[in-house]
Parts: sequence; structure tokens; C-alpha cells
Amino acid sequence: MSGATDESGIESDSATRASGNSSLTDARISFKRWLVKTSRNPYVTFTSLVQPIIFFVLMAEVLGAIAGGAISQSVSSDVSYVTYLTPAIIIQSALAAAAVSGIGLVDDMETGMFDKTLISPMHRSAMFVGKMLSEVVRITVQTGIILALGYLLLSVKSGASVDHYLQTGLFGVVGIFVVAIVFGGVFMAYSNIVALVTRDREATVMIANLLTFPLLFISSAFLPLEVLPDWIQAVAVANPITYGVDGIRALMLGRDVMSVFEITSFTGFWNTVIPAIGVLLAFNVVLGGIAVGLLKRASKADVQ
Amino acid sequence: MALQQRRDQSVDRVGSSTCRTAIDAEDVHVTYDDGTEAVQGVSLDVDEGEFFGFLGPNGAGKTTTIKTLVTLLAPTQGSVRINGYDTKTDPQAVRESIGYMAQETSIDFELTPRENLRVACQMYGVPSDEREERIESLLELVDLRDVADKRAETFSGGMQKRLDTATVLVHRPPVVFLDEPTTGLDPEARLRVWNYFEEINDRGTTVFLTTQYLEEANELCDRLAILQDGQITHTGTPDELKSAIGTDTLTLSLKDPSDQKRRRAVHVVRQLDALEAATVEQTAEGLIIEADNVRSAVGDLFTELAAADITVTDFDVQSPTLDDVFLTLAGSEVEENGIATETATVQEVTR
Repeated sequence: MSGATDESGIESDSATRASGNSSLTDARISFKRWLVKTSRNPYVTFTSLVQPIIFFVLMAEVLGAIAGGAISQSVSSDVSYVTYLTPAIIIQSALAAAAVSGIGLVDDMETGMFDKTLISPMHRSAMFVGKMLSEVVRITVQTGIILALGYLLLSVKSGASVDHYLQTGLFGVVGIFVVAIVFGGVFMAYSNIVALVTRDREATVMIANLLTFPLLFISSAFLPLEVLPDWIQAVAVANPITYGVDGIRALMLGRDVMSVFEITSFTGFWNTVIPAIGVLLAFNVVLGGIAVGLLKRASKADVQ
Repeated sequence: MALQQRRDQSVDRVGSSTCRTAIDAEDVHVTYDDGTEAVQGVSLDVDEGEFFGFLGPNGAGKTTTIKTLVTLLAPTQGSVRINGYDTKTDPQAVRESIGYMAQETSIDFELTPRENLRVACQMYGVPSDEREERIESLLELVDLRDVADKRAETFSGGMQKRLDTATVLVHRPPVVFLDEPTTGLDPEARLRVWNYFEEINDRGTTVFLTTQYLEEANELCDRLAILQDGQITHTGTPDELKSAIGTDTLTLSLKDPSDQKRRRAVHVVRQLDALEAATVEQTAEGLIIEADNVRSAVGDLFTELAAADITVTDFDVQSPTLDDVFLTLAGSEVEENGIATETATVQEVTR
């Protein structure tokens, strides 16, 4: 008991009113809470990091054995399949992290933590910003790990230098993080929409796995789109994964690799990176808008 | 600005009478989007420091009402003031004044009790120099000190519930709302939680409790309201409610319950001044005597019966319990509606 409350007797042992925090403090509280929660969930680390890494090694070995021709025809003969694949795995990992974003929300709704935070003096938007930031941090860490792993794989296989692996240097690394985070935003929004519509943990997990995994194959992730069937080329245009992968790939290879449409208004890899980020931002705005709308409705409840 | 407002409030508090109203609801209606009228005109007036019980069967609208009081739902009609603040116009001030324990155990299972409490302290802006001390005293209070650094997911339901209770109180809210806080607890855990609620109430906290356990309401509450189909049907102290529906009952078994013996026994009862107003019923074993003061008259009655050579082999005095209140009231309600299943449909909507 603090001295102040003791002086005024038993009555004032319950304060008259708690004092709230600033939005920034609220966001930080929520951010830390989610970071600790996710770091203690082994399932999370497995799906978003271990699984992509296993996938990375297997794909590099299996598809790499035959993809050489397609890569040299589409991009260049001096590009190793490992380098070609790294952007796809970065995106896969970001996707896995983002696609489970809604689970935390459903869990909070099921345990009542959602209501508990709603009736606390916390700023509501700060609450969600904090949660999103924790996912951004996860995506950043995972991207860094996979980027390093890709280089390790490449140097083991061919002894290539860092310059060769990452043509745009340090600037490219920053760019890759930006693309991965912007891409992650799309699926965070998507996952939260599913969570808010179904309000069911199993459904959120299931839809996350069911839709996101095939989406990887219907994109430019593993092979150049030119060698894939027409219908895949058609669907890939509307697939955010294509833009995420192409954006990162352009930064790694230092050239224009946009596979769904041709833009020449900029120079070199910018012809891919700018439109890719643009399309991903548009996805963010649309899906994010829907998610925020649903979230507002969920926090108000269905009364007349 | 905010400071000014707070100061005005405290001046107001000193100026007004000592019995301030903690919960003031006026004609609250809550209608869900699908047209379900979960709450239909509930008015409440709970004084500061009171332990108020809100009773009702499943689906009566208890949870909907409590959610309206804590700003989770907006009343379709009517108004709510908590600790003097209107839930519609000043929800932030209401949120800073209350603690709310939902029916579900609302804790972070991945975190330890200490971490859960720390997050709660941060959420409510408990000054950092007071946090550790408060966390320790709360851990002590709910008896979770030994496991303070173990993850809550490994705990039993009762321990998790106790942790939940502690997290609701970190900011020392003047008004605490508890929605069926002991559902699913074993008797020992329930007793412990009861002690805890009494303790915070003794410290001056207003407690608003919903429960299905009449024993719990009887034990803890200063005053009760019974909610049926979204409306308050009865309000009063536990004793008032009990006496409203019945009196004490004395059941006697006689050694030789022949017609003649029983008639003589009835005669003895009638001659006692104390039991003048009693209703007496003859049964196969003996008599059933109903009267307010039957308990105090038992001694005299037995003396008189012995004098009349009537031997009592067994007896039992019963006071009406809240269960009787509940069953009598709920029973008549069901009959009125003619459909007993109606409550079940409402329940689904409220959750």
C-alpha cells in the first residue's frame, strides 16, 4: 500500500479513477504483450520459420536440379536457383507469419481478453497498432534469417560472393525488408478479416493454410511464369505473392523481373520494385480498410 | 482540463451525502440487431460500498445487462451512470473507474501471473513505483505467490480464475463487476474467492455480482435483484426475498400417527398463543406446521405435546432458501409463458 492511500484511510483504498496512458505508451504495452505471447508459442516459430527453411532446402535441391534451363531462359544464365528461390521463401515466411495474425484476435475474443481491453482505458487503435508492430518485427527477423540462410546455401553450393547474391547491396537489404513488410500487411489484413467474420480459431487456421499455401504455386515464386500453364499466368496477375516475390527478386538480382506486366517508365529494377510496392499498397488499403471496418463493428457489438 | 474535471468531481463528492450512488441505471433497454429484446427496462440504484447481487436463470439477460453497465454495449434506450459518469457521454471516465471480470477466464495463458498483473498495471497506468508492491500484495491475496512465475496455462481452472480476479483489481477500481465469477470452481476455491470479494468490499469497493448460485448471493450480497426475461422482478435483501415467498416450516413425525393422536396434536398447537397464526397440515407421519416464529416456539410446543402424552420421534425446521425463492419465481414465470424452452433461445443471443 502506498503512503498516500494509507493516510486517507480504508475508504480510499480503491482509487477514484485510474489514469490512462498516451497512445504511444498503449501501443508499446500492446506490442510487448504480443511479442512475448508469440515468442512463447512454438507453433508460431514452426510454421513461419522452420517450415519455410525446410522448404527452402528441399526446393533448392529438387527443383534446382531441373529449373536451371527455365531460369536462364527467363532471367539470365548466371543466376543460381538458390538466389532465384530466396525471395520466394522470404515471402512464404512472411506469409506464414501474417496469415496467422487473426488467430491472436480470435483467441482474445474467446478468452475475453478482447472485451477486457475494450473496457480498459487503453486507446483502441493503439492496441491494434501494437499487435501489428509485433508481427512486423517477426517478419523482419524472419526475413533477415532467411536472407542469411540463402547466402549460406549459395556459398556452400557455388562459393559465390555477397555481391553476386545481392546485386543492390545494403540498399537492397533495406528494400527487401520494406517489400516483405508491405506484403505482410496484405495477409495480416486478410487473416484478421477471416477471424472477424468467422470468430473461430479453427476456421482461421484452416483458411490461412488452405488458401495461402496453394497461392504460392500460382505465382512467380518457384519458377518463371513463362514456363507455367496459361491459367496460372492469368491468376498470378491478381496474386499478391507475385508482386512480393518479384519486388524482392528485382532487388536481389538488380534487374527488372516483373513477370505479369511490363513497365518501362523507370530504370532497371525500379521498373519492378515501384509497381510491385504500389500494387501491394493498394491491396493493403482495400483489405486493411475492410479489416478496420469489421474491427470497429466488433468493438461496438450488435445492438440497435 | 481533465485535472480540473477531476477536482470538481472530488469537491462534489465531499459536498454530497456519504452514500453516493455507484451504479445508476434508468430504464435500460438493450435490443440486439436481430430484434431480440435482451434487456427490457432495467433500473438499478446501487450505493457506493454496497455488495449487490444480480440473479437470474440462464438467458435472463444478466450478461447483457452487465456488458451495458461496463460500456461494452450501448443501451438502446435509457441511461447508465457509473461512479457518476455517463456511459454514453463519458465512457473513458467509466472505464477508468471500473473493473470487470467476464464469465470467461480472461487472462493471457502464455504469461505468468506476475506478467499478467504487470500488463494489467500498465494498461491502467498504475504508477511504476507502486506496481511491484501492488502485484505482490495481489498475488498474496489470491494465493498465487508460489506459482507467480509459472505460465498460467499450466494452472487449474480455479487458479486461473483467481488470477483473473486479481488482474481486474490492479487499479483499485471503485466499482467492480463480476459476471458469474465462481462458475466451475470447486467448493474450496469458491470459498477462497468469496473471502476475497468480501475483503475488497470491506475496503470500500462497490461490488456488482451476477450469479446462478443462490447460496453465493445469500452469503455475500447486501441486496439482490432477480432478473427474468430481461426485467427485474424482485429487489431486496436476501432475507426480504426469502420471507416474501414463505415462512419457516416445522415437520413433525409422531410415534403413533393415528387420526386421534394427530387431532390431539393439532389441538395442542392451536392452544399455543405463539402459533395462533400457524397453518397446520396433517400428513401420514404427523404434522407440518408453517409459521414465521415456529423456530422460537418449538420448545414450548414440545413441552405441551409431552404433557399431552404425544411422543415426537423426529422433527425438522426449515427456513426458505434462495433456491426456494428462485424456484417459486422462476416456476411461475415458466408457467405463465407456457414454454420452458424460451430461455434457451435468448441465451444464445446474449453470448
